[in-house]
Amino acid sequence: MSRYIIRRVFLLIPMLLIVIFIVSFIMALTPSNPGILILGERADPAEIQKLNDELGYNDPFFVRYAKYVWNAAHGDLGKSWKNDNPVIVEILRRLPTTVTLAVGSILIGLVVGLPLGVISAVKQYSPLDIGGTVFAMILASFPAFWIGMMLIILFSLKLGLLPSFGIGSIRHFILPWVTTSCAFIASQLRMTRTSMLEAIRMDYIRTARAKGQRERIVIMRHALRNALLPVVTILGMDFGSMLGGTVTIETVFSLPGVGSLIIEAIRMKDIPVVVGATVTLATSYTLLMLLVDILYAFIDPRIKARYIKHS
Amino acid sequence: MTDIIASNTELRKKLKKKSQVAEIWRRFRKNKTAMVGLFIFVFIMLVVIFADAIVPYSVSISQKISARFISPGQDGHLFGTDNFGRDIMARIVHGSRNSLLVGLGAVVCGIVIGGLLGSVAGFYGGTVDSVIVRTLDTVMCIPLMLLVLSIVAALGASLVNVLIAMMIANVPMYARIVRAAVLSVVGQDYIEAAKACGTSNFMIILRHVIPNAIGPIIVQATMAVGTMIINAAGISFLGMGIQPPTPEWGAMLNEAKSYMINYPYTVIFPGLAIGLTALSLNLMGDGLRDALDPKLKD
Amino acid sequence: MSAMPVLDVKNLEVAYHTDETVMRAVNGISFSIDERETVGLVGETGAGKTTTALAIMRLLPERTGRINRGEIFYKGEDLSKKSADQMRLIRGACISMIFQDPMTSLNPILTVGDQILEALEIHNTDGKPKTALDARVDELLSLVGISPLRKVEYPHQFSGGMKQRIVIAIALACEPLLLIADEPTTALDVTIQAQVLVLMGELKQKLGTSMIMISHDLGVIAKTCDKVAVMYAGEIVEYGSARDIFEGRDHHPYTTGLFRAIPNLLGESRRLYPIDGLMPDPSALPSGCKFHPRCSGRMSGCDGEAPFLFEENGHRIQCNLFRKMAGQ
Repeated sequence: MSRYIIRRVFLLIPMLLIVIFIVSFIMALTPSNPGILILGERADPAEIQKLNDELGYNDPFFVRYAKYVWNAAHGDLGKSWKNDNPVIVEILRRLPTTVTLAVGSILIGLVVGLPLGVISAVKQYSPLDIGGTVFAMILASFPAFWIGMMLIILFSLKLGLLPSFGIGSIRHFILPWVTTSCAFIASQLRMTRTSMLEAIRMDYIRTARAKGQRERIVIMRHALRNALLPVVTILGMDFGSMLGGTVTIETVFSLPGVGSLIIEAIRMKDIPVVVGATVTLATSYTLLMLLVDILYAFIDPRIKARYIKHS
Repeated sequence: MTDIIASNTELRKKLKKKSQVAEIWRRFRKNKTAMVGLFIFVFIMLVVIFADAIVPYSVSISQKISARFISPGQDGHLFGTDNFGRDIMARIVHGSRNSLLVGLGAVVCGIVIGGLLGSVAGFYGGTVDSVIVRTLDTVMCIPLMLLVLSIVAALGASLVNVLIAMMIANVPMYARIVRAAVLSVVGQDYIEAAKACGTSNFMIILRHVIPNAIGPIIVQATMAVGTMIINAAGISFLGMGIQPPTPEWGAMLNEAKSYMINYPYTVIFPGLAIGLTALSLNLMGDGLRDALDPKLKD
Repeated sequence: MSAMPVLDVKNLEVAYHTDETVMRAVNGISFSIDERETVGLVGETGAGKTTTALAIMRLLPERTGRINRGEIFYKGEDLSKKSADQMRLIRGACISMIFQDPMTSLNPILTVGDQILEALEIHNTDGKPKTALDARVDELLSLVGISPLRKVEYPHQFSGGMKQRIVIAIALACEPLLLIADEPTTALDVTIQAQVLVLMGELKQKLGTSMIMISHDLGVIAKTCDKVAVMYAGEIVEYGSARDIFEGRDHHPYTTGLFRAIPNLLGESRRLYPIDGLMPDPSALPSGCKFHPRCSGRMSGCDGEAPFLFEENGHRIQCNLFRKMAGQ
């Protein structure tokens, strides 16, 4: 098992090289001039040229790529062109906000979505099921940032109950959590329902019923545990998409997270920050998916056996 | 004689296909929520097609400072007016074209390119396959919004560039579906037989692979159009997409967000338009999946 | 002991109601099982054998399956009158069932030991300690010829035949009075089939269990059953002792057809005689005798009223061919 994990971690390396390549390539097409960015519009053109040379901005793309990979391998993601801070510091400063937002809304999504999904599947075609699926569909259809605006209008402006921006206290996170969790409630509910419907039709469920097992235990012990694999996958993917996909939420609630860091950097053409943050997020995403794969082994002994065999 | 038999089997195949579509439609029609989705979608499509007949395009962009923030229902402005005094309903009606164009365009182009890559990967296998699969997997690791945002940053903010960016982000998913469909038929006896008879790969893909993959692709695509409309709105909302004064739902939200405290209706209506469109597509996609795969119903 | 049968099925009718159609899967069947007796239900796929078994267990699909008529008595008690919870306590303890496909009837994520233990725990009404139940799991595994050391393993680590042994161990865990075996050997290799059948025979002897053996394989039925019910389109077209069915002179044309469709290695005939046509669609059953469209001995009245019921010393045949014989 540990050999399997080590092998998977090694496989991350080529993947990271490709991610860095793709992002650097896209950013290389972006018109930007670090010299002007750092020294200002009115600086001496010769100075700007000199600084650009120093930064390696005038090197060919592949040279810059190789240098970047070499430095990144040593933990150096470069410095922001805007404020000369190390990119890694910028990211680490923003990460706690994004992670708080992600963890909270994922938990809400799980706690609300999973039980609703189970009930929907067990009572298929009941009013509860139809209501639940339509509810999930509606949640998934409206843009999260718009739901956020509506919540601000209702809870901050009309009722004056909750703050609408900033990160001063836990209360500041309530609206962003509820907003982002809408999509997760929807995806958890739908995935749980689908995979439960499949699990309930399995022969071993009939075997458990034929033993005289209580229906509740048949559902919880036999069906749900078998239905968990896709649910865990969606959980990992949701979490991953959270890391980068909350740009709009962070904008609506003025949260200083990684998403808003990237969008600011994109606007400023601060390329080291864009590349560094995107690569960090992509890495976190793949590490999360690896974690999901490892979780599989604990849920399903057949998968564990396969991991051990192939490592 | 053989000709008669051949045309007979052709005919029967056609009949069978027709009855299959009829059967799917029959199952779809019985699904009330899916039919609601279809009705909403047809309504939206009618708006898209007859936008100019409903209200001239000029109304949606003509600014009139004296008519700023007129409340919904007053002075003939059903949904009110925005901060430039533009009629919100007119902007929503004409914005529908841009939103749907981006959503549909990104998905359709994604299917075509993804389908090509997927079939090449599935058919040739080996190194070609692993290079394509690895690259696409890696692209999928980059959060979709970030990928789209960086592409838009590189290409510049415009409708076409948003469409291109979202198409690129869409390619991996369809490549996966098509590759899986190819792998499920490759190596089967009838494909070997077809190859032995000298049928070209192109014909094999046309005859055998596409029918196999079409179901999941239609379901996936229907829902993806909704997701793409939401994402496109998000990009415009961040000010990176379609630029004002061109009417687009996300861009409308971006402009209105500073005024939502005093004039909530300026953000409510564009959001409802996005939500209803995505909802209709999701309801239809769900109904289609049930109609195409009745396995889970009993 | 009383002469009351362990199970008495009377005039049972089961249908599946879907949105579009009503599939009449079982259409008025009656049979009974005495203590220590094995009754075989034989017939083609779709004849209603499994539906009968599920109806007895009250495990028909909740939304669609419905018992429309008839009674099922277990030791004189009407099972349809039991509450869901009473029925639950009967399942596994008094009546248990072995399903067709051992590959899918075990939960892949629980150890086989836990799955056997579960059956014991559910029906542990006299509060035996956990150690006693564990010991019983070991005993059951040895009984079906699996080393108790393997109880910590998962189903995927066992072969098909081994899995079916575990399924049998689960079914027999609480020493039920009645065991329903639904094609217990169909999914297995021929050599394994024989082993499993021998094992089931031995255990039945040892525990004194009555059994319903469902199979489409006349060979399996011949080896195991005391009484045989031949099912066709949800009806029992012929019912009698194994002797009546396998050695008797008079048969329903369908039974005759079934026997002619078996390859006979000893006989002179080198040809197989399959029965022409297919089992009718259960949502559109033919009128009169359900078999008449395929019957070679079809007469003018066969498509009209229900066929004549011939009975002789407990050997029942539903066929108009026997109307004349009975008249004599």
